[in-house]
Amino acid sequence: MATIDYDLELRRAGAHAAGGWRRVLFLAQRHVLGAAGLVIMTLFVVTAIFADFIARYDPLTIDAAGALARPSLTHWMGTDSFGRDVFSRIIHGSRISLAVGIGSTALGGAIGVIVGLTSGYLSGWVDLVFQRISDVLQALPLLVLALIMTAALGPSLPNVIIAIAIPLIPTVSRVVRANTLALRELPFVEAAKSIGMSEVRIALRHVLPNTLAPLIVLATAQLGSTILTEASLSFLGLGIPEPYPSWGRMLSESAAEYVRTAPWLVIFPGIAISLAVFGANLFGDALRDILDPRQRG
Amino acid sequence: MRSVWALAAMAALSVLTASTTTLAGEPKQGGVLRMYHRDSPANASILEGATYSVNVPFMGVFNNLVIYDQHIAQNSPDTLRPDLAESWSWSSDNKKLTFKLRQGVKWHDGKPFTSADVKCTFDLLMGKSQQKLRQNPRKAWYSEVNDVTPNGDFEVSFDLKRPQPSLLAMLASGYTPVYPCHVSPADMRTHPIGTGPFKFVEFKANESIKLTRNPDYWKKGLPYLDGIEYTIITNRSTAILAFVAGKFDMTFPTHITIPLLKDIKSQAPNAVCVVEPTNVSTNIIVNSTSPPFDNIDIRRAMAMALDRKAFVDILFEGQADIGGTMLPPPQGIWGMPKDKLATIPGYGPDVNASREEAKKLMQKAGYGPDKHLAVKISTRNIAEYRDPAVILIDQLKSIYIDGELDVVETANWFPKVARKDYMLGLNLTGNSVDDPDQSFYENYSCGSERNYTNYCNKEIEKLFDAQSQETDIGKRKPLVWDIDKKLQEDVARPIIFHARAGTCWQPYVKGVTIMSNSSYNGFRYEDVWLDK
Amino acid sequence: MFAYLVRRLLLMLVTLFGISVVIFFLLRIVPGNIVDILFAAAGYVDPADKANLEKELGIDQPLILQYWHWISGFLRGDFGYSYVSEKPALQEILPRIPITARLAGLALLFSASIGIPLGVISAVKQGTRLDYALRVVSLSGLSLPSFWLGLLILTASVAMFNRMPIFNPNPQTWLEAFATYAVPAAAVGFRSAALTMRITRSSMLEVLRQDYIRTARAKGASDATVNYQHALKNAILPVITVIGIEAAFLIGGLIVTETVFNIPGVARFLVEAIRWRDYPIVQNLVMLIAVVVVSANFIVDMLYAVFDPRIRYTD
Repeated sequence: MATIDYDLELRRAGAHAAGGWRRVLFLAQRHVLGAAGLVIMTLFVVTAIFADFIARYDPLTIDAAGALARPSLTHWMGTDSFGRDVFSRIIHGSRISLAVGIGSTALGGAIGVIVGLTSGYLSGWVDLVFQRISDVLQALPLLVLALIMTAALGPSLPNVIIAIAIPLIPTVSRVVRANTLALRELPFVEAAKSIGMSEVRIALRHVLPNTLAPLIVLATAQLGSTILTEASLSFLGLGIPEPYPSWGRMLSESAAEYVRTAPWLVIFPGIAISLAVFGANLFGDALRDILDPRQRG
Repeated sequence: MRSVWALAAMAALSVLTASTTTLAGEPKQGGVLRMYHRDSPANASILEGATYSVNVPFMGVFNNLVIYDQHIAQNSPDTLRPDLAESWSWSSDNKKLTFKLRQGVKWHDGKPFTSADVKCTFDLLMGKSQQKLRQNPRKAWYSEVNDVTPNGDFEVSFDLKRPQPSLLAMLASGYTPVYPCHVSPADMRTHPIGTGPFKFVEFKANESIKLTRNPDYWKKGLPYLDGIEYTIITNRSTAILAFVAGKFDMTFPTHITIPLLKDIKSQAPNAVCVVEPTNVSTNIIVNSTSPPFDNIDIRRAMAMALDRKAFVDILFEGQADIGGTMLPPPQGIWGMPKDKLATIPGYGPDVNASREEAKKLMQKAGYGPDKHLAVKISTRNIAEYRDPAVILIDQLKSIYIDGELDVVETANWFPKVARKDYMLGLNLTGNSVDDPDQSFYENYSCGSERNYTNYCNKEIEKLFDAQSQETDIGKRKPLVWDIDKKLQEDVARPIIFHARAGTCWQPYVKGVTIMSNSSYNGFRYEDVWLDK
Repeated sequence: MFAYLVRRLLLMLVTLFGISVVIFFLLRIVPGNIVDILFAAAGYVDPADKANLEKELGIDQPLILQYWHWISGFLRGDFGYSYVSEKPALQEILPRIPITARLAGLALLFSASIGIPLGVISAVKQGTRLDYALRVVSLSGLSLPSFWLGLLILTASVAMFNRMPIFNPNPQTWLEAFATYAVPAAAVGFRSAALTMRITRSSMLEVLRQDYIRTARAKGASDATVNYQHALKNAILPVITVIGIEAAFLIGGLIVTETVFNIPGVARFLVEAIRWRDYPIVQNLVMLIAVVVVSANFIVDMLYAVFDPRIRYTD
């Protein structure tokens, strides 16, 4: 893949203004769905950051007398079987989901980049070994791998992040490797080499930045699915343990017991998960359209 | 000795009356009872199992020497009934228990049942035979038995080291079926052969268990059912939905939580549902071998901070029992009376006062509002364990203890507990029979494998033996209460509550009785029938 | 081309070897073994009994030896015995495969028959309200946790029809047999249909921008001919690849769906086996899945090589 001239792309798309905010505005108009996704994502991040100020109650405090209260003015989304405020738990749960989403994507992405760069740049047997390892990881079903990993590490927030991150590595490293291979042949890399730049520097200064676009696309696409994987792990009993308010566990456990007697316990976490994943997917789609014009639609 | 024979005769009589009263309305032959099963048991061998997931489906394959009356909810010494043993008697020194065996009973493969099979079974359980059980979780039940000797083909005697009236209770448990001599323990795991009303057909792991009517059953005319089919459904909500939709005649016994019960009632108003204690206590195991809980003040403070009613209100909507080690009355036979219970620290009605005292104890130990004690609370990764642990953490906050939940996978739980690699653990203890010997020796005696906390008190050990040898129930009860009280005061393993759970069946299922003080002994199902 | 084939085959073997090593050692890293679990159920651990049992199962041997026993057995088709049921592992695994295969096949069919047409429509009508609506629907399909969708379907069908579409091992009629698989297949397929639709759409759009399509249009070919004869034919290749990759991805969805709908398939069985640390089942099953996935990838690559002359045959 060649480098992208974003200004050119923008002009081709019909943007005449070059100023920062106007460009953003223009993009937002052109990608209404993406803008909606961005708004959802921003909301999500803001919620996570200011959870302590937004939540009206402590998400862990139990109130025997107030268990299973319907949604009301005091408890906007009702209370769960322990009498904990569902709204506060969902607000705080955004931190967990964000930690899982960003944490595992970043971890898997970072390792994937290192592996991909090394693999693509050094070629030879290093490449061969790394390639085979990613073949191996890709042939194992993602959820099975995550299941074994959480079983091995024990269910906790960092372990769930690691378990979800590992299957991401091969996907990322493949993309980075392919790009690195293509870029190595390009004249500016040859030129850098000829003026005596070190290999590592070339890799970091020239190759990596030009691989960022597809990486970002990939990362946003993964963001949503990591949140869903955590939910599936929770359903299978290997997600993030109590008392952390993980949306996945809130949903999977209440879905079993309270679908009819206390539907608010099922509706609100369900909406939270779906909305967050939906936002990430919308935004990811738009990003792909903007950054990766080959696939633009 | 004569009185015992009289008792046995009375018992036999009451079997007749009980069965006629409960089964009034002409039982019908035929039909297959469809139930779901909550999980896939490891194998089909009851002697090797330690969960009622094995008892429920396979108890009907076997007979015991004696059995608790299947239609009286409360197991007690008065509800022991003859099974493979037609009668039993104690020697005058109460150290020899002799059973007269039923003649003409055949194993499912056609071979005759004799006293040799009884000897084989108990030699296997005591670890005396050539062939070994892969696992033998209840070996300790027979620690007072010297030997089991057949006298001819149809009589067998148990020689005891000392009098132990509770032995009969353990023999009557669903956990103590008689196995055939001629089938190896390995075969019993995959294809059990018994003398019972139902023959084993197949067990597909994670899928189904099928039993069929034994046409040659020694009780003529029984069983009424043509067979029983269990479909294994691990997901509780799927299982409940399937029951509501009429796919099953009955839920898995005592598998329905109180909140779910409401749900079933609203969707299937005709279903018959029963809530009974399961005789499973939820308790805290305390690692008193290392800080901070080696300090008795901190242990006491923790026990006093418990608001047991809150646990019961949250988890059972009020429908569970508070007591000591033994299941509280009226369902429990040996539990402390209410007024005695209330005198134990932490059991009083005023939780706040008790917590104030607990705070003082904590301050004495050097903790306070500015210096909290950080504690890990380990428990298994199962809702029944996790949920009370969450409440416990919340309650301990009131006395300067910051708890953090440490969720452990099933495979790692006992190794961890055995390594003493925990501070506090939230644990469930199932009592297979409502009997002090079973509970005390198993959980609190010095060398017991299941005494996870290694609580060891020679004084109390003597009291265990004293109550165990007492043949008069009236005299034995106060001894048991005193022991129980002492155990709670020592914070050996604080009991939080005794759970209850629901069982539901369709209105046409007749003759099911859910036991009210055990969840291991009531699944013979030989006279269950379908009114369709 | 021949050299490429041989090279690819060799690499495939290397990959499979790697998988066997990874799964073998990964399972041993997981703390606790079958013996611990059996004793956990019993509520106590007797060290002597434990040692006996470990010896009986052969898990006290050095790992290398255990690995050799397993892999040489696997190559001979001898899968050993399940630790839990004590039956031959093959006998436990084989009957469950067709169940999951049917489910997966039906799900893929569902995914393709909904995803591809909608993707084409969305691409052809690019930028219209219809396109937007379809994209939003497909994205929301990707946003629902699959167990949630399955439970909703079950709950709704019990509430509305008082019927329960869970697995029926002995369907009486053809229709019943279909219903046993169709509902859960739709629950799994819904998600992958969304994915298929998105891939089809972007693949179509890319093709529609190509010169030869413009040429075809310029030559006066009708819209329908251009869209469906020329464009779709060329756009379908990446879609097929993605569907192939999805087959591996599907396993995750199948685990959850088989649990929700209580289908005794091989996916849920695998999870149970992991939970029980039933090494013979997990190892052999994962290897079987890996063989299927790796050969599927291989076949897709070969198809590419045959159909797309632009591919370089040097990895």
